[in-house]
Amino acid sequence: MGAMHALSVENLTFRYAASGWELEVPALTLAKGEQLLMVSPSGAGKSTLLNVVAGLLDPTSGSVRVADQNFHALRGAARDAFRGRHVGMIFQTFNLLQGFTAAENVMAALLFAGVPEREHRAKAQAVLQRLGITRIDAPVEDMSVGQQQRVAVARAMVCDPVLVLADEPTASLDPTNARAAMDLIQEVCREKHAALLCVSHDPAMASRFERRESLTTEHTENTERTQ
Amino acid sequence: MTDFTIILRSLRVRLFSTLTTIVTVGVAVALILVLLTMRDSAKRAFERGGGDMHLLVSAEASPLSSVLNSIFYANAPRRSLPWARYEKLLTQAPWAYAVPTVTGDSFRGMPVVATTPEMFTQFKPALGEAWTLKEGAFFQGDFEVVVGSTVASQAGLHVGDTIFFTHGVPKDGGPIAGDVIHDHEGHDDHAHDDHAHDDHGHDHAHDDGAAHVHREFGCKVVGILTPTFSPHDRALFTSLNSAWVLHAHDRREKEGVFSQPGATATTTPADLTDADRQITAVYLRLVTREGGAAPANLQQVFSMLRSDPTVMVAQPADEVASLFLIVDNVNRLFLVIAGVVMVASAVSIMLALYNSMEQRRRQIAVMRVLGASAGRIFALVLTESAVIGLCGAAVGAGLAFLGAFAARGILRERLGLVIDPAFGLTTVLAVVLAAVVLACVAGLVPAMAGYRISVARSLKSAA
Repeated sequence: MGAMHALSVENLTFRYAASGWELEVPALTLAKGEQLLMVSPSGAGKSTLLNVVAGLLDPTSGSVRVADQNFHALRGAARDAFRGRHVGMIFQTFNLLQGFTAAENVMAALLFAGVPEREHRAKAQAVLQRLGITRIDAPVEDMSVGQQQRVAVARAMVCDPVLVLADEPTASLDPTNARAAMDLIQEVCREKHAALLCVSHDPAMASRFERRESLTTEHTENTERTQ
Repeated sequence: MTDFTIILRSLRVRLFSTLTTIVTVGVAVALILVLLTMRDSAKRAFERGGGDMHLLVSAEASPLSSVLNSIFYANAPRRSLPWARYEKLLTQAPWAYAVPTVTGDSFRGMPVVATTPEMFTQFKPALGEAWTLKEGAFFQGDFEVVVGSTVASQAGLHVGDTIFFTHGVPKDGGPIAGDVIHDHEGHDDHAHDDHAHDDHGHDHAHDDGAAHVHREFGCKVVGILTPTFSPHDRALFTSLNSAWVLHAHDRREKEGVFSQPGATATTTPADLTDADRQITAVYLRLVTREGGAAPANLQQVFSMLRSDPTVMVAQPADEVASLFLIVDNVNRLFLVIAGVVMVASAVSIMLALYNSMEQRRRQIAVMRVLGASAGRIFALVLTESAVIGLCGAAVGAGLAFLGAFAARGILRERLGLVIDPAFGLTTVLAVVLAAVVLACVAGLVPAMAGYRISVARSLKSAA
């Protein structure tokens, strides 16, 4: 498993039938623990790419492998369970479950990933405390924006995913919180050896990533790669 | 954390909607439970009233009013039969018993039944169930009274108390000051009442014409009956002479007997005339083999008695059956209405959940991202619906319990029907199960909506 890729995309196309808009990604790989920033303007298909990679949309052609598993060969509940166990997602608007506490938001990820119930509390507590959340039983609505972002990160990381997909993770934050949030996401991904695919239209993010690519609707091309 | 935690949180987030939906289901379940329970109880109460009598003879205008007035004590009978007709009746068929009754007087709105001791030794208030005493003994002499269980509890009567009957039935039927002297107190429990008594001991506290308390004839409570779960529980039983003397006293007062020189303002059985000796009904049972059904000659005797135009003869069992048929039709209508309310409540569950789907689109999409399958979302929404149904059913069962007892009080007070709501476990479970099943059916549409939510689109719209 030493050569295992966290993500391997080959000849991927995705077409919206109604509009004819098409996303093409000839090749994209992410090694375990690798971090990649996908920078492109709004509407270039970044979120669509993440949805296809997360198995939420089926590609028109090509393949997506996550942890060497052909993700789209899996159907229905099996694909959902695989996503729950191996892929973490962080959203621009956090998408926390309203009415749930911080701990419950994190435990929901464990529940749907099939982790035994007896382990939920301890795992959620550990990851939340690692991210500086002490009031783990407080409703997320009562938390500051920065705390909510950390709960969202904790939820994405609690199942020790192979791949973390971050969709404009700092777009809702002020520069200070944005910096802190990105520091945290990248740091935790490194700790957990999780690959990070971050999409953003914010050019200021570029300096944080050694590997950066841009996405066009016709194709992806390597713009800069510093090893 | 379990799926149930997710369901509870989801219900809590929409607390107002959840509670109103639960109350809607609860009201429907309560309505159905009360109707079903009261229907069964009413049927039992109706069936018990006639006891083991075969025929009821009276001077009423119809067999039904005869049964309603002389067995269920709905109203005071308007017409009576002379004692001589009763004596003739005794010779007309081989009776196991022929118990004469006089109704029309009351105590706090509850009927006084003047009768013979055979009422207790021969007539059975329910098939195979004889009268039993909770306290004391059956009456032997005049102005002794045996009271039904409801009377005793409502008026707080005990053996040894002295009570005063009201001639007629006052409109409000409420307690009249000074109508009880408790034995243990040894004095009038309304000693300082300010009601005016006339020269002859009548208390005209209630300005409703004929009804007045006969304070000059105190009746001693000698026995208290155990509940029979029949209309007789709210009756008071005394001797025929006791009722006749009250009436004779009024007659004599009107005739001016008491204003004659040397006359005492009292009446005794010796003062009774044949005209005073009137009865309002006779409970009749033909000689029947032990444990046997209605005797073969019942129809023959029935026809023979009907040929006499001066009496009204009724078969209580038939009248009760036809009466219950009428009541049952109304009950069925209510049940249909309750069913409609139940379906409406199921629709409200569906609407509440379906509308919430729009608000929950993003939450469901997030759960899908976290690994929940579409099938699991379907099950979560369906279970949520079932939980609303179950909570509604529980609230409904509680409301029904309270409602049935409230209805029991009203029926007892207003209609004289002694109905004890007995919540059969099977009935309650069946209704609760029906509510949950209906809620699940109602949950199918929103569950399907949750199942079909497009995760990518919902996340995009949330961004």
